[in-house]
Amino acid sequence: MPKAINYKANSIVYFRGDTSERVYILKAGKVSLNYNDIETGQEMHDLIQTGEFFGVKSALGKYPREETAVVLSDATMIAFTVPEFEQIALQNTRIIMKMLKVFSNQLRRIHKQVRNLLMTGANTNDPESGLFKIGQYYLKSRRFKQAVYALRRYLTYYPSGKYASEASSLLEAAENGTTGNMRNVSHAAPVQTGTQLTEVAKAYYNAVSLFSQEQYGEALKEFQKIVKDSQGGEYEAKSQYETGRCFFNLNKFDQCIKHYTMMIQKYPKHPDLVDALFYVGNSYEKLDNKNKAAGFYKKILSMAREDMPVYRKSKKALKKLGE
Amino acid sequence: MPLDLSMFERFAVTYQPEDIIFCEHEPGDTFYLIQSGRVQIVKIIDEIEKNIDILQPGEIFGEMAILEEAPRSASAVALDQVKALEFNRENFEILMKGTPQIALKLLKLFTKRIYDQKRRFLILTLNDEQAKVADVFLMLSETQHVDNPDEDERVFKVAVDDIAHWAGISPDRSRAVLNHFVSQRRVEIFPDRIVVKNINDFARFVKSKRRQQLSD
Repeated sequence: MPKAINYKANSIVYFRGDTSERVYILKAGKVSLNYNDIETGQEMHDLIQTGEFFGVKSALGKYPREETAVVLSDATMIAFTVPEFEQIALQNTRIIMKMLKVFSNQLRRIHKQVRNLLMTGANTNDPESGLFKIGQYYLKSRRFKQAVYALRRYLTYYPSGKYASEASSLLEAAENGTTGNMRNVSHAAPVQTGTQLTEVAKAYYNAVSLFSQEQYGEALKEFQKIVKDSQGGEYEAKSQYETGRCFFNLNKFDQCIKHYTMMIQKYPKHPDLVDALFYVGNSYEKLDNKNKAAGFYKKILSMAREDMPVYRKSKKALKKLGE
Repeated sequence: MPLDLSMFERFAVTYQPEDIIFCEHEPGDTFYLIQSGRVQIVKIIDEIEKNIDILQPGEIFGEMAILEEAPRSASAVALDQVKALEFNRENFEILMKGTPQIALKLLKLFTKRIYDQKRRFLILTLNDEQAKVADVFLMLSETQHVDNPDEDERVFKVAVDDIAHWAGISPDRSRAVLNHFVSQRRVEIFPDRIVVKNINDFARFVKSKRRQQLSD
């Protein structure tokens, strides 16, 4: 049977690294989950809301706790074993649906982080060439059925794509069960752009690594150099965003605001736009301009999806401002 | 616990052996629950088809499509005659509400994926290539079943390219680093496997590199 447990302030429910199959729900009091951000190494504190579950992921996944659960003020919680938790969840699908949403967001985020770190060349980033090459591969290895599938798919999604005519002739060959004339097959992505991309990418990830080591001044110089050297392109846009983050962490809030205002004008559809706005709002807050800060946070709430971390952060910030 | 899935019969799809269910790089908006037959997950890396996993009845695949309509990261191929239920984002909620067991299964799958990805992320944050490669072996050893945990030596059924893939470095660099380890007698490379002579030695090595990186 699940049982209620009382914890005194300053006690620990579990430590990072512990293995346990307990899942908790907070009934009363304050509990904080402390962990280091995987990207920045920064110490994070997430406050658990009353009625919220915690310890679910590591218990269900049977891996060590990733955070330390600290009791901030006397608290009561109910502890479940995994089978007990499952039983409750099965009777109340809302719990599962809500967690699926949270987990899928986390998964999306970590996927993005991994992708960002992987210096994949142009080929793997380009599904069009990827799909075509799979067709090519199967044809070459005389697995015609698979080749037909991949090439047909290619022509469905990219009817006027850069390999469309090649794909149709290879498809014909695959349908006839021959390998066709493979010598005509050209190679994707010219070598030159490939190496250029790697150099910028290298510089960028070097700067990111400086940032993650909290060497913000050094990182700032690197990011600014990338912006200057690479006119346009993915890494310029990314570095623009990071430049603002460096200013913020260097407590140069005026410059942070100025920089992001410029960036937003230049890249009105920047993928990190909402996060940039959050830094602007936060900078205003640091500069004690509460009205402006609140304005930006509200704007974020109107732009971001509810399940985005920045949405939650903005909501929290607004609450703190007494809005 | 056997599930009554008869209400989902209209979502059933069947595949013949060797049929491609979906192909790496094609946009994905469906995911599948296997009812009978096995499904192989493969990826083509440098002109070689790599087996990623073989899935059994009751397992879910293609689930990333629930999150976003991103290109498939691997191909799914029918090994036997396969019957599967095919769902998309629209009928996802019906499925989850009607059969919470599947929702729970998906939840567990997500916890595993999050953990795996985080672990992978940690490897990629290492600056040093040797440390990256060593950490790949540590990651593999963490999910490996070991008969005798006191034994230092570990055998991995992987190839140099697999290591390159996990470490996020080129196959050439991966080979160079592994050859260096071979010359130090820390590793032995065979056509079908790689042997790490002392996994604890690798653990210490990675730990010290990580610490060094943090203090730099």
